[in-house]
Order: sequence, then C-alpha cells, then structure tokens
Amino acid sequence: MRNRTTASAAAAALLVSGLAAGCGGGTGGAAAAAGGTPVRGGNLVIDIATPQQDFDVNTTSDNESIWTLDQVAQTLYANGPDGKSLRPELATGYTLSPDKLTWTFRLRHGVRFSSGATMTSKDVVFSLDQALNPKSIWNFIDAPISSVTAAGPYAVVITTRTPWAPLLADLALFANAIFPDNFGGESRAQFFQHPVGTGPFEIASWTRGQSLKLVRNPYYWQPGKPYLDSVSYDAVSDANTRVVQLQGGQAQIIETAPFARLASLKAAGFQLGLFPSTRIDYVTMNELDKPLRDPRVRLAISEALDTKQIMQAVFFGYGQAADSPFMPTVSYYAPVGLHTGNLALARKDLAASSYPHGGFSIDFIAGSGDPVQTAVAQIVQAELKPLDITVNIRQMDPAQVTVEEQSFHFGMRETYWTMDIIDPDEYVSFVLDGTAGAYANWTHFDDPVIDRLTRQAEATFDPATRQAIYTQIQQRAAADAPIVWLGYSPYDYVYASSVHGFRVYPEGNAHLEDVWLSR
Amino acid sequence: MSARYLALRLAQVVFVAFGVTVATFGLLHLVPGNPARTLLGVHATAGEVAYLSREWGLTKPLPVQYADYVGRLLHGDLGTSVYYQAPVAGLIGHALPVTLSMLALGAAFGIAASVPLALLAATRPGRPADHVIRAVPMAGLGMPPFWVGFILLIVFALGLHLLPAGGYGSTPAGHLESLILPGLTVAAVTTPILVRSLRLALIEVLGSEFVAAATARGLSRARVLLRHALRSTAVPAVSVLAVNLGYLLGGTVVIENVFGLPGVGNLLLTGILNRDFDVVQSVTLVYALLVVLINLGADLAYAALDPRVVLGR
Repeated sequence: MRNRTTASAAAAALLVSGLAAGCGGGTGGAAAAAGGTPVRGGNLVIDIATPQQDFDVNTTSDNESIWTLDQVAQTLYANGPDGKSLRPELATGYTLSPDKLTWTFRLRHGVRFSSGATMTSKDVVFSLDQALNPKSIWNFIDAPISSVTAAGPYAVVITTRTPWAPLLADLALFANAIFPDNFGGESRAQFFQHPVGTGPFEIASWTRGQSLKLVRNPYYWQPGKPYLDSVSYDAVSDANTRVVQLQGGQAQIIETAPFARLASLKAAGFQLGLFPSTRIDYVTMNELDKPLRDPRVRLAISEALDTKQIMQAVFFGYGQAADSPFMPTVSYYAPVGLHTGNLALARKDLAASSYPHGGFSIDFIAGSGDPVQTAVAQIVQAELKPLDITVNIRQMDPAQVTVEEQSFHFGMRETYWTMDIIDPDEYVSFVLDGTAGAYANWTHFDDPVIDRLTRQAEATFDPATRQAIYTQIQQRAAADAPIVWLGYSPYDYVYASSVHGFRVYPEGNAHLEDVWLSR
Repeated sequence: MSARYLALRLAQVVFVAFGVTVATFGLLHLVPGNPARTLLGVHATAGEVAYLSREWGLTKPLPVQYADYVGRLLHGDLGTSVYYQAPVAGLIGHALPVTLSMLALGAAFGIAASVPLALLAATRPGRPADHVIRAVPMAGLGMPPFWVGFILLIVFALGLHLLPAGGYGSTPAGHLESLILPGLTVAAVTTPILVRSLRLALIEVLGSEFVAAATARGLSRARVLLRHALRSTAVPAVSVLAVNLGYLLGGTVVIENVFGLPGVGNLLLTGILNRDFDVVQSVTLVYALLVVLINLGADLAYAALDPRVVLGR
C-alpha cells in the first residue's frame, strides 16, 4: 500500500503570504545550482519500477501516474522543494476575505496549454469542478470548497464552507490540476488517454505497461524551459535490471535502486540521490484486540521495540528512527521524543497495565514477498518475547493484508505513509483522527482531544498557533501510542554523471523542466 | 494428414480453452483480494469500494459472473483491465509479439546450437568431444534462467558493450537487438535437452541399414549426415522442442522480468498482483492456446519431415 497524503496549509498560506500581493512565482534555480550552464536538448531515460496506470485525476492513485502527470499538468499553487512551502504556479497570488471564507486568485497571464490554447478562468473553474466530482477518490481533499466561480478571464473565486487553512496546499494536489475547459471538446475517457496541460512536457506516446514518452511543450510559459527535448519512462520491474540498464547507459536515472548496491554504484561514478522523503514507516495496533486496548500495553510494546535497529536493518543503514509521529519533512513537525528500545521502561509500563506479566498473543499480518513487512514482523516477534508477548506472524497475499486490516482481523501490521500535500491535516485526519472514516488508520484509536485539535488546526491560519496545536497532537499521540512509529527513509535514485538539476521533492515529484543533460 | 484429423485437433483446442476458463476463473475468485479495493487505494471508503464492486459486477453470484465472462469471450471481448483502465485485447496485442519473438528467437538459437553439437557428439561417441558436449550444456540446464540472464547481461551488455542491457528498444532493429540475450537465455534451457535427444537419435540412425546403404552407394559423409540421418532425427527433436517451448511459456515471467521486456509474462505478473481478473484470465487462456497450438504445429511438422507419418490414423 502506498498511503499517499497531503498536508496543508495554513502554514503554507503564510509561507506564501508574501506572494499574495501578486509577486510571480517561478521555479528555476535548480539547474543553476547544479553547476554549469544548462545545455538544451537530449532525451532523458528514466527506469521506473511500475508502469503508469491511469491519468484520470478522479480515479488514479498510483505514484508513477501522478509524478508523470506533474510534468504535463500544473496547479494554481505548487509544493516547494523543502516539502513545507508553497509557491504560486498558475496563480500569481490571492486575497482572502476577512471572514476567511472567500479566496480570490489572480491567474498568470500568457500561460498556454500544450495544444496552444490560452489558459483562462474558464479552464480553472471547469477543472476544479471536475475535481469536486463526488465520484472522485480525491474529492475529500476539496470537501470544504462550496463553490468555484470566475471573476473575469484572469480571476477565480473559491468559497469554502468554513474557514479552511489548508486550502492552498489542497489546491497544489495533482487532482486539482488545470486542464482545458470541457476537455478541449473530447470525452473524459478520450482526454485522459493523452491529457493536455500547461506543464513543461506533453505526452507523445504511451504504451500501457511498457513505456511512455514526453516531449517538450512548445508553448511552456517559463522562458527557456524545459531544457530536455524529451523524457522516456521505461517500466522495469526488477531492481537489478534497472541497475544493469543504468550501468549499460540505456537509462540515465533509475528509481528505487537496491539500498545494498548504492555504495558500489557511487564508487562506480554514478550520482546518488538520497532525497529526504515524507515516508514514515509504522506499526499499527488494532484496539479491538483486547490487550491492545490498554494504552499501557501499547506503550510497553512501543518501548520494547528498538526502532533504530529496525530502521537500520530494513533500510540497509539508510533509515532513521522516528522521534515523533510526524516526519521532519512535514510542516509543524516537533521532535517530541519516542521512548523506544528501552526494555526496562517497557517492563515497567507493562507491569502497570492490565497484563502485568504479558502472557497474551498478537497476530501480526504481513504481505508475503514484502521484504519490509516480513522483516519488521520477525524483529517485532523477537523483541516482544522478553515481555512474554507471543507474536504470531500471518503471511498472506498483499491484497489480503488490506482486507484483513479493514475488517479488523489483525493485531498488528507494518505500513507506511507518504504525503501528497504539504499540510499535515490529511495525515492527521487519516492516521490519528478517530472520527474520520479510516478509524485512525484502522486502529480504532480515538482520542477526543486529538479529534478536537485536528478541527481547530484546520480553521487556524496563524502558523505559531498551528505549530502549538500540532505539537500537542504529536505529544498526545506519542503518549498514547496507538501506533509504533518506526522511522523515516529517503527516496533513492541513482543517476548518470551527465544528469544535472535532478531533484526529487519530499512529496516524491520531480521538476524535470530543471533537468539537463551534459554531452 | 486428413481434414478430419485437423478438425479433431482444433476441437480439442476448444475443450482446452473451456477447461482453462473454468479453472482460472474459479481459482482467481478463490484467492482473496478485491480489485476495487486495490484500484481505489487506502483513502476509499467501504461504500466506494462496494459501489465500484457493483459497477464491475463483482457482487453478482459467481456462476453469473462466469456466464458474463464467457459471453464476452464469445463476442471477442477479453474485457477491460481495471489496473490500466484499458481493453485487455489491446494490452495483449502489444505484449504478445514480444513474448512470441523471444520464444521464436530462443528456439532458433537452440536449434542452431544443438544440431552441430549433436552431430559432432554423435559422430564421435565416447570420445572427449562427446563427453564435453554432453556435460557442458547440462550445466546450463542446472542454472536458473534468471541467473543465466544476468550473466549474459553482465558479459555482453556491460562487459563487451555488444548488446543492450535489457529493455525492448524503440525500432524494429532495436527490438531484435534487445531480444538476442533473452533468446539466448531461452536457448540455454532448451539446448541441453535438444542436444541429448538429437545425439541419441543420430547414434541410432547412423547405425541403421539405410545409412550404411547410402554410404555404400558412395554418398559423401556430409550428405549422409545432413540429408539422410539428420532428417530422420528431426521428428523426435521437434517433439522435444515443442514440449520445452510449452514449458518455457510459463518461464517467460522470469526471463521478461530480468530483461525488462514488456511481454505477456510481465503483464500476467502485474495482473496477478493487482487482482486484475480480466488480464489474468485472458493471458492464461492465451498461454493455454499457445501450448496447444505449438503442439499441433509440432504434429504437423512430423508429417512434413517424415513422409511415413500420416496424421489421423
């Protein structure tokens, strides 16, 4: 499962508040920072682990499709490179009404779709209306929006039902990308076979399950960009084959190279891209399982597990133990401290629980063939033995793990989360909010204080106040331990020395308009 | 060969196809996992999963679902991939030529290597060349295809830079170039068995009276070997090759994975992992039909190679 989330934005709103006056955004800088003068031209080949599935923004949820779509279509605001800031993209700024319900966005002039048509407010209203479609699997992100209307050709008014701080971050989600009004006269199905957007590239060809080629959008609005003529994505499922293709010069960039091979690839002259990600791995505990209902038991389990050792083992030395339920790459992260790997403390807390001597068993479900889930399950089994807690590992088909989890037929499971938007609101709503549809990541954990604080953060625009709220949420989550937060790991890419300006943002997307190839 | 024989064999194809549809449909629905949940991801509510399941007909009784599936098949509709949101026929149409080309090239390499080796061994039975020829290819048989594939990639792509390091290229010449190493991997599996069966058959034939008679009539050694002896041994070799190619179809998943080839093996693997029912059912059906057709092709080849063989009697 690739939990994908978004996070928001009051903070974001403030981070970009200087832009509200209408100052232009603009990306850039990355290529220059990479050193040397960018060279125009060339075809960049990227080996991806799984092929793109579907570009319909109402139905797609796979990362490869989303990250490819990011090259083709753009949003009013976009995530910044630090994972915590936003910058104007197709908008140049906004004003917010005093009651914080009406947002008026000014649109960038001179932006054209790859079809040559000029982007106006009609396109924005149409696209956001599509995103609000109740059938969209992402419409929960836009749920606070009550209406989207045009206010002239270059202004759009978005009204929210309640004051909603994460709005800018929500608008930066790929599902809110801007497409031509009425899909340029095509049907929805036709259009998303080869979506047209304002991004630096357009889709030239796509053979499902095999490969996809992007070519430069001749009408791209950022002068001089993109540098590349084209980008080819080849789906290569075997990690070792991706490495061989990189070594053989057939690909210039490969994703998710085996961690165990990174050192030798670096020694061979390749560039390692260990980009900080928003991925957090964790072990959930089902509170419908009687022993796990007791917070002292959960705390004891959390304390008994040596998360540093687990992250080192599972990610071959490239993982880092968590020190908070939040990731350092996410807004409002606070290193509240997690007392893991402390058996003495674990014994003490267990002794104070309703199971002072342990003596119970827990089912740990893990996807067969999933190296991370299997390894974590085995380590948890070994590390809980001293507490006389028996962990029964039930391996099953990966698809069945989700079914068992959502039917609450499990005790513990390992999973992870990555963010789509920069505001922590979606993460907190999904993982910690017991009143939301996901039952706090299927744990049945429910802390009314966290639920209340979550609602409060959504309506709070002051970043200092939001920081205080989210710090409190992190502290309470750490104390109640509904989940064992294991740790953080980077995105790992390896690329040829001829590749310049390549950078993956914490949410996983890359800005290929900044990338160039030296000859 | 009689028309009746051909009709009977083709009728067998229909029976096999029916059996395969029942087996794959039944097995797939026995395995837990809901494609709607897989597609919708973690954010989807139970209601959304239920809605999509209804849309796709997954909530209907299994016999009704099977009848729908067969009904669609009879109209030439292989269904729609829920993973790729695209017609399965199109996906297989793109992937099948890759797999068939790889197998054909593998068979060609296998034959090209086996014939001279078997001739060399059979004409020198018990001598060092014979021992080497029997022993070395057997080592190839003991090596798993993924390992052979990686060794070939390391030697020919990374070491000698003679061939691409996997992938499928973007032009017909590129496709062919990309298929050479996978073809050699296929040949590594088929050659040992082909060499042994051809060698044995050749030794037997070389001791037969018609070879002695041909030699006595003054025909050259090469003509006796190539024109008379080899042709007689081709029938069992074709049979062995057909059986092995059928077996190798199942192994394409591994070989395609190693070389990053976008063939039906990779399509099947993705389909299984994502509970893409229509893809799995259709690819399995195509595999089964291919095995039957390869064997039918072998039978037809018998008749062409050996005039004494009359099919259908």
